[in-house]
Amino acid sequence: MKRYDCMTLLAKRLKDELVILSLGASVDEWYNAAPHMRAASLFQQQLGCVTPQAFGLAAGLPHRRIVSLDTDGGMMFNLGILATLGNERPENLFVVVWDNEQYQSIGGPPTHTALGRVDIAAIARGCGIEQAHTVRDLEDFDRHCAAGLAAREPYVVVAKVAGTVQPDIRRKHSDGREDKYIFVRHVEATEGITIMGPSEHN
Amino acid sequence: MKQSAVDAVIRGLKRAGVSVVCYLPDSLFKELYPALDADPDIRTIRVTNEGEGAAICGGVFLSGKRAALVMENSGLRASVEPLARMGLGAGIPVVMLMSYRGEMGENNWWAIPHGITMEPVLNALRIPFRVVREEDEIERAIVDAYQWSYAAYYHSAVALGGSVVR
Repeated sequence: MKRYDCMTLLAKRLKDELVILSLGASVDEWYNAAPHMRAASLFQQQLGCVTPQAFGLAAGLPHRRIVSLDTDGGMMFNLGILATLGNERPENLFVVVWDNEQYQSIGGPPTHTALGRVDIAAIARGCGIEQAHTVRDLEDFDRHCAAGLAAREPYVVVAKVAGTVQPDIRRKHSDGREDKYIFVRHVEATEGITIMGPSEHN
Repeated sequence: MKQSAVDAVIRGLKRAGVSVVCYLPDSLFKELYPALDADPDIRTIRVTNEGEGAAICGGVFLSGKRAALVMENSGLRASVEPLARMGLGAGIPVVMLMSYRGEMGENNWWAIPHGITMEPVLNALRIPFRVVREEDEIERAIVDAYQWSYAAYYHSAVALGGSVVR
């Protein structure tokens, strides 16, 4: 199962959601697989921060569906967030973990999931997230996306994907700061709120 | 902490518009945490480590709500990676309220590292901070931290020490 094909399926289901996603090649893949979601997606180059940030966003906007696109390396970096999600039980957070069993962006050395013993979905269930599933084919992935995007409880899908990157995709040129401004202005416009307002005159 | 100091912290947070507090409890603030939990205007989120709390606070910022990360100053060290990435890489601010463990007067050997490292770590990250040891300065310090962080879009910190926490 290729990550890019999964992203294409997920992108078809998204419209008003907000997405926080992880680092590496998955950023460029998402940029191409979900062009209509670019302003609604925050690309964060941070191992271990993606799902915590997505949860913070979900806590602040409880009426809005938030999607976290995390990775095996990122989730292993901070497993504690699964315990926090199990206790806090956000009703609007859908977590996808792209598990390619490797640190792809630095050339592919194995993560802890590569030996087949460490099971992120099982860890999530052990944290009290009953809806935590490992998927290995596109049909199953799509089915869990439909369920996860409608769920009223935390929902984690661990997608076992190949360690390949979609060839010939356009690279994203913006940095983290530009991405934040684009994302914040999108949240402001769609929520009718001010996050980064004008300076005071004094 | 005295009840009056707890009240001053909560007044400051409310004046600053804070509605979400992420915390990992410690002993010097032990009276503060249940008071935050009990406050109907503040949602508390208990985290497994302070770095996770910093990242959650960053996400709350992106929602337009205001968050605070409340912790012992040792939690600063656990937060350095997400703070550096969010603050310097993206301009996503986190405002921190920490107990000043390990300052002069400390009587626990295990807390000495917290006192020795807090200010250098804050300085390494170029995070402005105010050490407050008088109760009547708490509220203003918290409000000032939010004013600065929402002008700079960078982290700031208030450390409560001295007789405020002992």
